[in-house]
Amino acid sequence: MDKPKFVYVTYIRTTPEKLWQALVDPEFTRQYWCDTVQECEWKVGAAWRIMIPDGRVADSGKVLELDPPRKLVLSWRNEFRPELNAEGYSRLTYEIEQMPHSLKLTVTHESDQPGSKLIEAVSQGWPMILASLKSLLETGSPLEETRHWPKEFCATQKQ
Amino acid sequence: MDKPKFVYVTYIRTTPEKLWRALVDPEFTRQYWCDTVQECEWKVGAAWGIVIPGGRVINSGQVLEIDPPRKLVLTWRKELDPEMRAEGHSRMTYEIEQLPHSVKLTVTHESDMPGSKLIQAVSQGWPLVLASLKSLLETGSSLEETRHWPKEFCLTEKQ
Repeated sequence: MDKPKFVYVTYIRTTPEKLWQALVDPEFTRQYWCDTVQECEWKVGAAWRIMIPDGRVADSGKVLELDPPRKLVLSWRNEFRPELNAEGYSRLTYEIEQMPHSLKLTVTHESDQPGSKLIEAVSQGWPMILASLKSLLETGSPLEETRHWPKEFCATQKQ
Repeated sequence: MDKPKFVYVTYIRTTPEKLWRALVDPEFTRQYWCDTVQECEWKVGAAWGIVIPGGRVINSGQVLEIDPPRKLVLTWRKELDPEMRAEGHSRMTYEIEQLPHSVKLTVTHESDMPGSKLIQAVSQGWPLVLASLKSLLETGSSLEETRHWPKEFCLTEKQ
């Protein structure tokens, strides 16, 4: 594939506003995204970073598009693995669509780099993070494997 | 792609035994799989089919491998749409792995037919059915969109 792309669709019984909040708010991401937070002013052009608990930056980029609670597009470069960092910026898109009784969340993570190891790595991590997000929003509890960094399953997330 | 393949991974807070039961038992599939049931004796070589309310068979095949509660492999031909039926049998695999606090489910649906319309169709349906299965096992309620056949969202599932 010339332009590696990972696409993941899930459906969550929640509201668009609650899902949006869970995607951006540190109080939520700490629970389902391995105790990380995002630093961002959440407007187009703003710098964006994922911070891990020891203060290191896991990933960085900027906000390309922002239309709460429907769409968010970020550029995304890995910061703590040299071979992934060397690939430069990938593109992450969240799209939220209202259905009659649930929400459809589409996550698209893509790169211009043929054979991108970054896309390979995030392809392993996204299903776990998004499953934990769904559990958190529907049951009040995330999946235990995703509460801490760098526990074994967060390490395989390679983010 | 010469050999179209759809792979979907999710994580569910349940046990392998409960997940296996939900994958095969009509009492469960009716709730998250659009009111369908599977007819099968659940042993290698057994005929397998998905039946919609009213008795029509929409998918048919046979059991290739069965190792409860870890693995199930079926052949799968779509019966309703003539073009898809002409493609013959695809192959569908469930793999269930125990994690420390949850269960990883990998669904692989693949075909030898380049440009398979069957794989295209099931790629749309699986995320909704599997999201509903996760909601059912974790909250006791499936997603409303998947409780009936042939409601609008089950139709987009094309199964």
